[in-house]
Amino acid sequence: MRILTALILAAFSYIAIYDMLSPNFLMLARPLVAGFFTGLIVGDVQSGLLIGGTLELMALGVYTYGGATIPDYTVGAILGTYFGKGGNFETGIALAIPAALLLTQVDILNRFLNFVFVHRADTYAEAGDDKGFDRMMVWTSHMIWGFSRFIPVFLAIAFGEPLVKAVSSFFDTFPWINKGINTVGGILPALGFAMLLKILPVEKYPAFLILGFVMFAFLKMPLVGLALFGVAVALVYQYLKYEKKGA
Amino acid sequence: MATKKVTRKDLMAAFWRYIWMSQCGWNYERMQSVGYCYSMLPILKKTRPGKEEFKEAFITNLNFYNTNPVVGTPLIMGAHVALEEAGASLDTTEGLKVGLMGPLAGVGDTLVWAIYNSIIFSIGSIMSLGGNAFGPIFVMIFIFFPYMAVRYWQYMWAYNQGTNLLSSLGGGAIARITELATIVGLIVVGGFAPSIVRLTTPLKYSQETTLAGEAITQTVEIQSSLDSIMPYLLPALVTYLAYWLLKNKGWTPVKVIFLLIVVGFIGGALNIFG
Repeated sequence: MRILTALILAAFSYIAIYDMLSPNFLMLARPLVAGFFTGLIVGDVQSGLLIGGTLELMALGVYTYGGATIPDYTVGAILGTYFGKGGNFETGIALAIPAALLLTQVDILNRFLNFVFVHRADTYAEAGDDKGFDRMMVWTSHMIWGFSRFIPVFLAIAFGEPLVKAVSSFFDTFPWINKGINTVGGILPALGFAMLLKILPVEKYPAFLILGFVMFAFLKMPLVGLALFGVAVALVYQYLKYEKKGA
Repeated sequence: MATKKVTRKDLMAAFWRYIWMSQCGWNYERMQSVGYCYSMLPILKKTRPGKEEFKEAFITNLNFYNTNPVVGTPLIMGAHVALEEAGASLDTTEGLKVGLMGPLAGVGDTLVWAIYNSIIFSIGSIMSLGGNAFGPIFVMIFIFFPYMAVRYWQYMWAYNQGTNLLSSLGGGAIARITELATIVGLIVVGGFAPSIVRLTTPLKYSQETTLAGEAITQTVEIQSSLDSIMPYLLPALVTYLAYWLLKNKGWTPVKVIFLLIVVGFIGGALNIFG
C-alpha cells in the first residue's frame, strides 16, 4: 500500500514539474497546489491545505528568474503533506524545508545534465532530421527533470518511515528545535520579496514601495485593496506624466 | 500581395507545440533553445520548403534563447512567424529573438511572477490556512484561464501586427505597460512583505528602580518599543537585509536562504526571536 502511494506521489511530482516547465495549466508545482493534491491522494485534505499554504507563503514570489535554482517547495509540499498527515503539522513542516533545500542540489544537476538534449538536437539539425528531433522532444526532453523529482519522492515515501519516526521523536524531546523552525518559517518569505525587489527598479521609484508599506503597516489596508490602490496610483501617475502635456 | 504560406493550422500547430514543450530540455548551455526550435518547426517547414534552407533554419533556431515563457515567448513567436512568412532572412529573425528576449524577460517576470502570481497565491494561501479547500481551486482557476488567454492573445496579436511590431514596441507601448506594472508591483510588495514576513522578539528589559522609597521592577517589552517606533520594523529590516545581500553583495538565493535558516533557527531556539 505504501509502495503504491509512493508511486502515485512520485508520478504526481513528475507531472507537477512538467506542468511548471511547459503547459503552466494549473501551477501544480507551487506548494499550495501540490500540497492540496497530495492531501487528496493521501486522504487528508486539511493537512494538504495547511502545509501547502504555509510553504506557499514561504515561497511567495520565489520563482526561477532567468533559470536560477530555488528550493524545491514542490517536493517539500508533497513530502511535508505525506509525513504531516493526521495532524502532524510540525513534523510535516520540519521535513518539508530540509527536503526542499536538499533538492536544490538535484535541480542544479538536472539543469546541467539536460545539455545532452541540445547536443542531440544539433545532430538532428545537421542531418535535417526533424522527425527524430520531434521524437526526442516529446518522449525524452522532460525525463531528466521528471525523474530527478520522481526518484527522491518515491524513495522518501517508500523507505523513509523509520527516519521520519526518529525525526519526529527527536523533535518531541527537544522543543526548542520547533521554536527555531517556526522562526525560520516566519522569515524565509523575506527572500521571495528580496528577489522581487531585485527585479523591480527600487532605486528609481522608492516612493511607491514606501507608500505600499505605509498603507499596510500603519493604515492596515487589506491585500486586495492594496492591489487596487496600486493600480489606481499607477494610472494617476501615468496620467500626470503623459496625458497632461497634451491637455 | 504575396499568398499566405502559413495556414491557420500551421499557426495553431506551432502554438500547441509551444504550450506542450516550451521549456522541456532547458539547460544551462542554451536554456529554452530546443523548446523554441521545436515550436517553430511546423512554420519553418512551410516557409522554407528546400531541404538545405530548412536545415539552415533548423540549426540557427537552436541558438541560445531564454525569456519569460508566459508573457514573452508567444509574442516573439507570433512576430517570428510573420517575419518568416514575409521571407525575412535568418539574420533578421535571430535579431528579433535576441532583441526582444531580454526586455520581455524583465516585463514578463515582473508582470506574471512578481505581481499576478504573488497576489493570486497569497489570497489562495490565506484561504487554505483557514481550512478552506477553495484556496487552491481559486488559484488553479485564476491560473488556467488567464494564462491560456494571455498566451493565445499575445501570439495572435504579434502575428497580425507582424513586422510593425518592432516599431510599435519602439513607440513606447511596452515601456508604458512595464512602468505601470512596476509601480503596482512596488506598492503591492511594500505592503505584502510585512504582511507575510513574520519576525518578533519576546525579549524584555527589566530594571530595578526605587519609587517613593519602594523598590520596584520595571519591565519593558522590546517588541512594544519597536512597534511604537514603526510597526513591522523587524520584518522590514530582514527583507531589506536579504535584498541588500542579493543586490549589492551578489549572493545567490540559496546562500541567502541558508543565512536566514541559520539566523532564524538560532534566534528562535534561544528565544531571541519568536
